[in-house]
Amino acid sequence: VTPITRRAFLSSSAAAGCGLLLALRIPELEAEGLVERPAVFEPNAYLSIAPDDTITIFVIRHEMGQGVRTLLPMMIAEELEANPARIRLEQAVTGPRFAGIRLHTSGSGSSRGTYETLRSAGAAAREMLVAAAAARWSVPPTSCHAESSMVVHGATGRRLTFGQLADAAAAQPVPLEPRLKDPADFRLLGRPMPRVDGPDIVTGRARYGLDVRVPNMVYASIERAPVLGGRLVRFDGSRAVRRPGVLHVMPVTSGIQQGVAVVAESTWAAMSARRELDIAWDHGQHRDFDSERFIADLPGWLETDAQFVVRHEGDARTALRAAARRHGATYVFPFQAHAPLETMNCTADVRADHAEFWVPTQTQHRCMEQAVKVTGLPEERIRIHATLMGGGFGRRLFADYLAEAAQISKVIARPVQVVWTRVDETRHGYFQPSTAERLEGGLDGNGRLVALVHRTSASDLTIYDIHGGRDIYGSEPPPAKEPDHYSSGLSPWGAFDNPYDIPHLRVDAADVPSPVPYGPWRAVEYPSTVFARESFLDELSQLTGRDPLEYRLDAIGEGERMIGPIPLDRGRLRHVHELAAERAGWNRPLPQDARLRGRGIAANVYHGGSYIAQVAEVSLAPDLTDLRVERITCVIDCGLALNPLGVTGQAESGIAWGLSYTLLGPIHFREGRVVERGYQDFRVVAMDRMPELDLHVIASRERPGGFGEHPVPMVAPAIANAVFAATGVRLRRLPITPEALRGAASD
Amino acid sequence: VNGRLHALDIDPGTPLLWALRDHLHLYGAKYGCGIGLCGACTVLVDDQAVRACRLSVADAAGKAVTTIEGLAPGREPVQLAWQALQVPQCGYCQPGMIMTAAALLLRSPSPSDEEITEAMSGSVCRCGTFDRMRRAIRRAAAAEGS
Repeated sequence: VTPITRRAFLSSSAAAGCGLLLALRIPELEAEGLVERPAVFEPNAYLSIAPDDTITIFVIRHEMGQGVRTLLPMMIAEELEANPARIRLEQAVTGPRFAGIRLHTSGSGSSRGTYETLRSAGAAAREMLVAAAAARWSVPPTSCHAESSMVVHGATGRRLTFGQLADAAAAQPVPLEPRLKDPADFRLLGRPMPRVDGPDIVTGRARYGLDVRVPNMVYASIERAPVLGGRLVRFDGSRAVRRPGVLHVMPVTSGIQQGVAVVAESTWAAMSARRELDIAWDHGQHRDFDSERFIADLPGWLETDAQFVVRHEGDARTALRAAARRHGATYVFPFQAHAPLETMNCTADVRADHAEFWVPTQTQHRCMEQAVKVTGLPEERIRIHATLMGGGFGRRLFADYLAEAAQISKVIARPVQVVWTRVDETRHGYFQPSTAERLEGGLDGNGRLVALVHRTSASDLTIYDIHGGRDIYGSEPPPAKEPDHYSSGLSPWGAFDNPYDIPHLRVDAADVPSPVPYGPWRAVEYPSTVFARESFLDELSQLTGRDPLEYRLDAIGEGERMIGPIPLDRGRLRHVHELAAERAGWNRPLPQDARLRGRGIAANVYHGGSYIAQVAEVSLAPDLTDLRVERITCVIDCGLALNPLGVTGQAESGIAWGLSYTLLGPIHFREGRVVERGYQDFRVVAMDRMPELDLHVIASRERPGGFGEHPVPMVAPAIANAVFAATGVRLRRLPITPEALRGAASD
Repeated sequence: VNGRLHALDIDPGTPLLWALRDHLHLYGAKYGCGIGLCGACTVLVDDQAVRACRLSVADAAGKAVTTIEGLAPGREPVQLAWQALQVPQCGYCQPGMIMTAAALLLRSPSPSDEEITEAMSGSVCRCGTFDRMRRAIRRAAAAEGS
């Protein structure tokens, strides 16, 4: 499997419209006897139509709550003119059928990255079915059309079902450029679609990774090195193995951290026997790593030469020196964990000549890579079943837990389910890096921002390098980076694609070494950069005595432009600001009572696709305790909302995610270890912290811009700006807590 | 469990959660934290919402346990409201949330917003489906009351 680099991912999602996979026929499979019923019509890898009219659609992304199993098949059905009631879903799996197709779910790319491809797949099938019917009736194809899984000859009313035509359609040439519908004619897309998995979820029938059961399986729980990069020196499992139900104790070296596994007949026996293990660790070179010290050192990195120029327009440094007025500020984003509710797990059955895995994953490619590496088997002898996920958020873009299960199963020659505990999950992740962002702005005589230098220690989020088989704690130094390492990945997101109209703009990224394994976390680099950028704009408005909304509207500029490969429509950005302000009653007075109250506004454009502005309204007790987010207004222009129910769901979800890291968290490291153990000390919001929401999705026929991560990053700056409006206290480090507020107020 | 009597010969200290999942093959109650903090394993024990990861199977003996599989399949007002408002995202916490809401409605058929928030705020949903859950509980209460 070719490693999916961040760069390749971006270019592939940019080029996702290409229908190059449409011409993929299945003759190779037929030759191997792998297609059992040749009468089945398979115009491409994405769907098949059986003579009994059953349409099977293969879902090429992974379900983690974002609704891909509902939406993606509808893209095909829309163009195919299929009757949705007769559609059967199957999860696409790695193997020859899907060779070259991205079975990888990240970057809010599932809808925007498949929109043209899947529609083309459906349209091609429809054109072949129509051509087959026309040939049978000896009429021109243009006199026929498809509807509800049938082809109809308009003049005579004759009709044949897709199933009746399957055989003949298979003999038709595959159209290379099938005609796609005008979105104005959509019957399915753009309307609310209930989740296909809904009934199974509310009845408890939905099966996740931890619910997988296969014959003869056992369970494993792993005690991992507590210190980052620690090594296993020796262990004594004799007491653990005497516990009832315990079968084996063995070393595990294939995962994120080395460890010792207890294998038992039940999950509880495996988990509870871990405390009987006697293990000696070599804590290694990172035993003193401390997140507070790391964060304290971050601003220093911004002053060094270890920087990459990511974007430079005009001459920012000269313009800064010449500016009528200057302002600088440094913002800090702490470490964060994904904390999905379903802990990492994988069920593996590794035999001498083949292997099978059941795994909740966002990426079958990474799973296959690890499966090959650990089992030593070739890809064609390995089968991966992607299960539903109890949350992904980026954590399941790594397959370390599959590697652990593979190693154990290979050794014990039995199917095994590796189950992580909540403590394992909290301490052994791929974390959101802590960053510092330094912004220096230069204003002209009218207070307008004419020069900006944004330096960020966004750290190396070219994350997949970590996992490409490389041992991040090994002695081998990481490969040197190309000068365009960051900018070619459009990184750091949010700094690189700063959407404001600033004549002199320079964005630099410092490369800060760290022993912490990093991974993409919901919204990736936007949370830290947008917190800094949008807080800074608010500071400038205050400095110049302007209303924050007016100041922003002036800074947006006019018209369309490109930022590298990213298109930007500033009219759309302006419109979401204006509408959010209007709905939030920006100019209406706040209630006058004993509490401190304020509103704040922030916005972002995610890779030029989706435009969102949020207004947060907060209140606090006069002594700066009891911070409450009362209301969040969120106005969304994500192009055509393919499933409006999905868009508002992701908005609610993204806002909750943003609230968690704005108000709660974070992760700390002390003596090389994660301090937190679970939800008791790495806290996330619950219902009592959920504010009143006003979500508004702008009706649009623009290309869908993606949505899973987009509503996240403006929550923190909107709240920080609202807290400033309420209290006059500016917090430049997350989370925003009463303690931090009182500390800042007394400085 | 769900109206059936089961005899288990296992370590009496085994949490009810793992007895349900590994021995009775009921997978609706989920593991999330193991210390009663997240609510994903919530079941009814004698009609009270209980965290199955914190109750030993010995202490559950002789009591009536209802898991999500024991609700009338998909026809309980809570489940119907959950479906009508499209609450779930990843769905992993939802059986526990539904059982917590069902227990709330058993003891308080028309709960106030404060009661809803108090009953539900001890449960973790990392997808953040709180707004829809709140509305779904109001809807289920209204449906049961009518």
